[in-house]
Amino acid sequence: MSNQQTNASLNPTLVKLTDVFKTFNAGTVNEVRPMQGVNLTITEGSFVIVLGGNGSGKSTLLNAIAGSFPIDNGTIELDGQDVTQWPEHKRAILIGRVFQNPFSGTAPSMSILDNFSLAAKRGKFRGLSWAHSSKLQDELKDRVSELKMGLENRLDTAIGSLSGGQRQALTLLMATWLKPKLLLLDEHTAALDPKSADQVIALTDQIIAKEKLTTLMVTHSMQQAINLGDRIIMMHKGNVLHDVNANEKQRLRVDDLLSRFENVRRRELLDESVADLLRLRYI
Amino acid sequence: MTLLIGALTLGIILSLLALGVYISYRIFDIADISVDGSITFGAAVCSVLLVQMGVHPLWATLAGFLSGAIAGTVSGILQTHFKINPLLSGILVMTGLYSVNLHVMGRSNIPFLGTVTLSTYCEKLGNIVFGGNETLLLGWTVSTTDLMTLILMFLLVSSISLVLWLFFHTDLGTAMRASGDNPQMIRALGGNVEYYKIFGLALSNGLVGLAGALWAQYQNFADVQMGIGMVVWGLASVIIGEALAGTASVGTAIIGTIIGSILFRQLVAIALSFGLNPNDLKLITALFVFAALILPNMLSKLSVGKRKEAL
Repeated sequence: MSNQQTNASLNPTLVKLTDVFKTFNAGTVNEVRPMQGVNLTITEGSFVIVLGGNGSGKSTLLNAIAGSFPIDNGTIELDGQDVTQWPEHKRAILIGRVFQNPFSGTAPSMSILDNFSLAAKRGKFRGLSWAHSSKLQDELKDRVSELKMGLENRLDTAIGSLSGGQRQALTLLMATWLKPKLLLLDEHTAALDPKSADQVIALTDQIIAKEKLTTLMVTHSMQQAINLGDRIIMMHKGNVLHDVNANEKQRLRVDDLLSRFENVRRRELLDESVADLLRLRYI
Repeated sequence: MTLLIGALTLGIILSLLALGVYISYRIFDIADISVDGSITFGAAVCSVLLVQMGVHPLWATLAGFLSGAIAGTVSGILQTHFKINPLLSGILVMTGLYSVNLHVMGRSNIPFLGTVTLSTYCEKLGNIVFGGNETLLLGWTVSTTDLMTLILMFLLVSSISLVLWLFFHTDLGTAMRASGDNPQMIRALGGNVEYYKIFGLALSNGLVGLAGALWAQYQNFADVQMGIGMVVWGLASVIIGEALAGTASVGTAIIGTIIGSILFRQLVAIALSFGLNPNDLKLITALFVFAALILPNMLSKLSVGKRKEAL
């Protein structure tokens, strides 16, 4: 009993989704239902990988937690607070984000320094104090030189002139500049070449481990899913299909994941063909 | 020389309008037509306070800024709160302001005959500083009032530019720049884009209203039609400024915009003195902005074509 209690206090719940529904373009031919009653609990300190095919609702899950749109039904709790009604910019106090598109996470025409001065105030009040404080500049130089990308002497360069890999690495650094309660990574290496993707993944792993960040990471890469994180959830048609916990995950190989997806695909194909047969016969 | 000083002074006064347009058009990427209404609104409020209420010119000028800022706030709320297309909300505010301006002024034109305005103070100060009504400048005889007005307007615009430059390097100002550059990013970093937009448009139209108040006092009358086409005038100044000074930083953009406004006013003065029909002025301004908007695209197409030929 006492053992259970200590376990619970060691790993309190950070994110809790209860019966979350979301439909886009309801009632039109473009209707999409990326969330069909999603229930999900994430404990503090865990690194969760989200897998799923196109349109399975994995990116929508992240955007719903971040507050990019209001959900139709259900509740979202973050850090013990009901944030369902909170606008996106208010939730930013708790959340750091990196997007799939390297253009999304940074202000292209502004300098590296400008961008980090914004990141240094994530979720905080922005007043009339000087944005480029010398403290920020010194700290930034140190942290950026750790990236070994040669950017530490180019802090006045417009961030839009950098490569996708450099921008994603910087965005990751920006998202975690102030330690977020929750880090959301939405296929943040999908738009990069393999070498840059590996660099960014290595950096991701390093930062998450060092800061002990609770992370939710969407990926297409089975290899990333196997190598990173301590839990995998597989999304399908707007719901959590499989939930692989830490113990199970250690024994998991790429082939196992692929076969799970294959099972889903077969079931789908069967459904389709049966539907076609029925259609032929009865319509 | 008098003509030159006059064009210079007006160019400097209207650079406040150009700075306002720079904020909405370049920082927030909004073509905000409410400018056409808010410049007149600033002039109208200022003129009524001066002529009918005898308010001190400094307060009346400040009121011009505030009335412009109110117009900008309304435009911003229409865009953010009611999700009306920015162009359309500008048209709504501008159209509505036309009636408001007529009501404020009570008629279509208010002359400042015998009214104490900032020009009166410029005259007094000019007489004291230069010791008389006229003085020699580079061999020409010029009115000390004109000279003093030019100097004071230059000082005013310089200090406002400095304040703007400082502001856009604060936490709030940087966030405002980012919300025009990448709204998704600044939202993810906790910035309230809607709030920044309203504040930015208030600031932008406030500067425009201030330009209106100063312009009316400089030309000694306010007219309900004085704002027509002024947004295009501002755009022309911003575009000339960018061509000359570039867009590398906020500082160069601000200086460029001021130089652009002065230069554009000089060009207009020269064209008018060479016999350009004043009725054609707006058309020519519009054609100029049209050319400036399409030229960069055409030039890049030309160079791409050449590169293809070379291959």
